[in-house]
Parts: sequence; structure tokens; C-alpha cells
Amino acid sequence: MIQAHDSVIVLMLGRLLIPLVQLFGLYVLFFGQYGPGGGFVGGVIFGASMILSILIFGPSASYSKVAKKVVHGDGLGLLIFAGVGGLCLIGGGEFLNYAALEIPGLEVASRRYVGIMLTQIGVAVDVAVTVISIVFSLSSNDEDSHA
Amino acid sequence: MSHHLPALLFLLPFLTAISLPMVGLKHREWCRPMAIAAVSAMSVASIVNVVVIMDSGEIRYAFSGWAPPIGIEWVDDGLASVIMVTLSLLALISLINAGPTSSSALGQRIVPYYTLILLLIAAVTGIVFAGDLFNVFVFLEVAALSGYALVGVAGGKALVSAFRYLILGTLGASLYLLGVGYFYAATGTLNMADLAQRVPELMTSKAIVGGLIFMFLGLGIKMALMPLHGWLPDAYTHAPDAISPFLASLVTKVALIAWIRIMFWVVGAGAEIEHVPVLFLLVELGALAAVVGAFLALTQHEVKRMFAYGGISHIGLILIGVGIGNPTGFAGGVFYLINDAVMQAALFFLAGAAMYQYGVRTIEDLGRLRGQAPWMTGALIIMAMSMVGFPPTGGFFGKWYIILGALEAQNYLAVAAVIISTVLTLAYFIKLFERIFRDTQPSSGIIPVEAPLSMKVSIGVVSAAIILLGLFSDPIVGFLLDTALPSGL
Amino acid sequence: MLELIEVWLHRPNFIAFVILFLWGFYIMVTHHNLVKKLIGMYIVQTSVIFFLVAISAKTGATVPILLSGTGPVQAATYTNPLPHVLTLTAIVVQIATLGVSLALVAAIYRKYGTLDEDEILKRLE
Repeated sequence: MIQAHDSVIVLMLGRLLIPLVQLFGLYVLFFGQYGPGGGFVGGVIFGASMILSILIFGPSASYSKVAKKVVHGDGLGLLIFAGVGGLCLIGGGEFLNYAALEIPGLEVASRRYVGIMLTQIGVAVDVAVTVISIVFSLSSNDEDSHA
Repeated sequence: MSHHLPALLFLLPFLTAISLPMVGLKHREWCRPMAIAAVSAMSVASIVNVVVIMDSGEIRYAFSGWAPPIGIEWVDDGLASVIMVTLSLLALISLINAGPTSSSALGQRIVPYYTLILLLIAAVTGIVFAGDLFNVFVFLEVAALSGYALVGVAGGKALVSAFRYLILGTLGASLYLLGVGYFYAATGTLNMADLAQRVPELMTSKAIVGGLIFMFLGLGIKMALMPLHGWLPDAYTHAPDAISPFLASLVTKVALIAWIRIMFWVVGAGAEIEHVPVLFLLVELGALAAVVGAFLALTQHEVKRMFAYGGISHIGLILIGVGIGNPTGFAGGVFYLINDAVMQAALFFLAGAAMYQYGVRTIEDLGRLRGQAPWMTGALIIMAMSMVGFPPTGGFFGKWYIILGALEAQNYLAVAAVIISTVLTLAYFIKLFERIFRDTQPSSGIIPVEAPLSMKVSIGVVSAAIILLGLFSDPIVGFLLDTALPSGL
Repeated sequence: MLELIEVWLHRPNFIAFVILFLWGFYIMVTHHNLVKKLIGMYIVQTSVIFFLVAISAKTGATVPILLSGTGPVQAATYTNPLPHVLTLTAIVVQIATLGVSLALVAAIYRKYGTLDEDEILKRLE
């Protein structure tokens, strides 16, 4: 089992750095159109911040309760992705044709922008959940960790 | 609406798969009905798809509205639609068969179990429809990853077999990706229709030849062609009895379909490497696989391992069929692929039912079936007739068309390989039946556990399907000859 | 023969790809420890991904991110973005494979207590 770290320095720095890592992950996710980044890398960084909190504070600390809850949302990110694609199907175009999204007041280029952003958010959520669930499934010894 | 059928056929199992983890948190008993409902809807949609294709020709579905060759497209033509009907119906029957042994033994893990099965079915759909080389890689890996995890569910020996399958399968996928990289570097496009125009005049370029060989090696590992089959016997034998039909009838067959697409629709049937036709290489390797696979099946003791080697020999027969290079041989090869998927599923259903009811694991244990389960023995007789190739089962007509095609092309090596493999298959099935009918040992003290209805129904349905495929072979092969032929034949 | 070697030496990234691929394959085949086999598999996959990035490079070109919004795009100043997309997908596949394989190795260790392949094969009998 993973236990909380002994050294005060690590605990203090963890409390400072983990929100910064999460903020950086969100930045990489949303600014992926203008620089290297995008959904996958943003999700990995965000998931890595939760893994850091598990490693530093142990699985039973209050910081890590969020991580345990997050693991239950296994297919949510992919549902967002496929849901956006399905909305495009309902709107009349092919699957994932963002120009067919039914959003009033937006022109075609902005609709594609919104579609891409939503799918990247879906990918980031899914990757973060996957990375955390890999760590959980490797760290628990005998009991089943999650459904 | 019918224009969206390819996407619909993929989305039905895929959306169900990704919503199962959240549904299964609260209601674990809804998983199995949801999975069966999704795959039944998919089977109905695939039959509608075949009717639509027969009426109005092929559907080319461009994702996101971007036109090919820049965009990604899915090709829904005659070959894809027929294979889709086969695979979705087989997936449905395998799901019905997978019920009894899994819900009791798995407990809490039943949600990921059904999620993985549905992801496997969705990924197989993606490979059948793919019109782009890289799409095939992605879906091949999704199907393979689900396969690795599902093989390992049984625990114990299955974990080591799953690990070996994982190492070899990932090596195969990396080789395939390398081949795709070579093709891209030489031509600048990944779309299959676009490549079909550029590759034939580039056949002397070292990049194309190297890429083709790497792709063949990669797909050969995935479809368990003879020298590259090392992972298959262990994986099929130690996998849970409910999962072996999925692996045997879905995963290896779609790797073969992907290779047929690349060979005939991208590279072209007349392609030559240094004046040696590529199809000649296919026929040689297929002949080797057919004969050696059937020979190795003779020497096995465990029932599932014998059926696994039988599957390897049939992959060789299908390659002989499509590699001959005339329409009869090609249609015979594809028809034999459909038959082989049904036969493999049937054999593994039977092995699972025999294991459940009588604890049958090796051939000596088959003696427990003597006189006690006439329905099981009758079904085994039908499956054996089809594997060997007696009329009126589907296996006979498949081999008949393959031999006809080989005689037309005057390829006597292929005819000899088919006949030798048939004789060897007959030999090992006689070995099986001798155990059942002439066993003189007294029956051991195994108390039979009555097989549940779903297993009996699934065995009955696939046995009927084997005979139906034989009776309706003429219209099916006619349909294949009309709509499913590549342009070079 | 000499000009062939000269042609090879002008393409150091492809030589690096070949060395990585063969080295990873050698590790996969020869080492007995299961985790080392996984490391070899990872190196083989990484070498193929490296090859994909290497075929997209152009001399004197920059990263394929648009420098400014106005004016026509000159294709020769940016490296080819399509293999980068293939690389991203291949990396995702690599991580997923690594996750599944590590879970399998953890389960094998819990069951057999050793990670040495010969030991495990002996205990399977």
C-alpha cells in the first residue's frame, strides 16, 4: 500500500505544486490550437497531478478522495466525444462533421472550433481517468479496486 | 438515413460499450441485456445494409465531411457488407453463449468484461469497413488490446498465455505500422483508393516492397499464419470457454480481411516483386499452413488445442483460395472464410459446453459423452462434416470452389495441399469420434451438470447455420462474384 | 559498395531507427525477466514512432504550427504534419498497451511469485 510521505519538505512542496500542475494541464488543453498540446497531453498532465497527490499524501488523504471518485467516470470522456459526433449526425451531416452542429448564432468556422474544443475536453477527461485507474489497479494488492 | 449505415453499425456497440461502466455502477444486472440488445440491433442493421448495398451499390462514408484523399473514409461495399452480417450474427450468438459461465464467476468484474467484449465487436467493425491504412492499425490495436485482457480473465495459465499473445501481437502491430510508414513515405497518401492508383507503377521501389513485406509480416502475426502462429494455441486453449469463440471467429478473420483488402484493393492482384507474383508467395505459405496445421492438430491431446490448430490450417486454406488469382478461387476463399468463422465458433461452443457439463478437457475425457449427450454428439458430427468437407455442409462447397479455381489456374500444388489437408482433418476427427464411440473404459465418477439453455441454443443455431450455408451456397457465391470482386480479377 | 555506405551515413536518423528497432527486438527475445521483455517491446514501438517522425522532417523547416494568421501558407517552411498525427495516435496505443501489459505482469507476479520466464514455465507444468 502507498503511504503518505515522511518528509515535511515533500508534503509542503506537494501542496504548492499540485494546483500549479493542474493549472498547467488546463492551459495545455485549451491552448492546443496555438501551440503544441491538445487533449491527450492535457489529460495526461492533469491525471499526473492526481497521481502525484496519491503518491505524496497517500490514498486515504482528503486530497486523494477526488481521485478515487474520478475513477468511477470511466467512459465519460469517450461519451462526450461520441456524443458530439452523434449530435453532428442528428444535425444532418456525417459523423463528426462539426459544421452540422445545431448551435444558433454561430457561423461554420466557429462551429468547427466549438466541436474540436468539446472533443479535446472529452479526450482529456478520458485520458486523465485512464491514467489514474491504471495507477489504482496496479497499486492495490488483493481487493478489487473498482467495478 | 441509409447513407449513415456504416457509422451506425460502428456506433451501436461502441456507444453501448462506453456507457456500460457508468450504468454498471448502479445496476450491474443491466450489463448483459444491454449488450445483447446492442448486438441484436447491430445484426438487424447489418442485414439492412446488405439489402441497401444490393440495391444501390457501395457507400463511401467520409468522416467529418472532408472529402478523400485528405479526409478519412469508410468503404461499405459487397465484401464488407457480407462479412459484417457474418460477424455481427456470430457476435450475437457468442454473447448469448457467454452468459452462464461468466456472471457467477466474475462478480464485480462483469462490467469491464462486457465493456471489453463490446469494444472488441466495435473494433472488428472498424477494420472491416476501413478505407484508410492507418484506420486499420488503430482498430487492430483496439481489438487486440481487448483480446489480451479477455484472455487473461481466466487467471492462472491464461495470464502467461495472454502475456505471450500481448508481446507477439504488439510486435505484429509495430511491423504493420512500419509498413504503413514506408507506404506513406513513398506515395504521400494513406487512403486505399488513392494508393491503388499510385502503387502499381511504384512496385519496383524498395520502399513499397519493404512496406508490403512489413505489412504482411505484421498482419501475418495477427492472423496466425503458419510460421508466425506461436501465440495462438496457448491463447485459445487457456482462454475462458466463453471468450474462445470471440477470438477464433472474429479477431484472426478480420486480420485476414485486412490483408485481402491491402493485397487486392491497394497493391493489385498482378503485383510482382522482381518478376515473382506476390500471389504465388501467398499460395505457397497457405499450402504450408494448411498441411502443417492439420498435421499438428493430429498430435494434440487437449480438445481446444486441437481445434486451435484446425483453425490455423483453415487460415492456410483461405489464403490458398484468394491467392489463386481468378474469380472462382477468390469467391471460394471468401465463402470459406465465412464458413470457417461459423465452424470455429461452433467448435469452441461445443468445447465450452462439454467442459461445463462433463468437465471435458482432453480427448480421453471425451469418452464421457458416450451415449449421454446425443445432441452434443450430433452437433459434433455436423461440425466435423463441415470441417472435413462433406456435402451438404458449407465447408464442402467452399473447398469445391477453391479446388475449381485452382484447377482453372492449373495450380496443382494448391489442389494437392487442399486434398492433403482434408485427409489429415478427416484423420483427426476420426480420432475424436473413436474416443466417443468406441471407448471401453467404464465411465468415471463425474456427475454431469446440465448445460444451461443458452449453450444448447447457441450450439443448435450454429449447427443449423453450417447446413444453411451449404444449402444456400449458390446464391451467396453468386452474390460474391457479382459485387465483391476486386477490380484486378 | 562504398557509395552505399556513404548514402547510409548521410541519413543518420534512419540508422538510429534501425539500431533501436534491432536492439529492442534483441532485448525482447533474449532476456528472461518479463519486465525486461516489456522494456524491449516498448523500445521497438518507440523506434517505429521515431521513424514516423523522421520521415516528416525537412531541412530548414520549423514545427507545423502556423506562425501568423495572414498570408498564404508556404508548405516548404513547415514540416509535414500528417506523420505527427500518426505519431500521437501511436503513442496513445503504446501507453494503452503498456498499461494492459503491466497489469498482466502484476497479476502473474501475484499468482506465481516470480517474474523469471523459465521459472514460470517450469511451474506451469
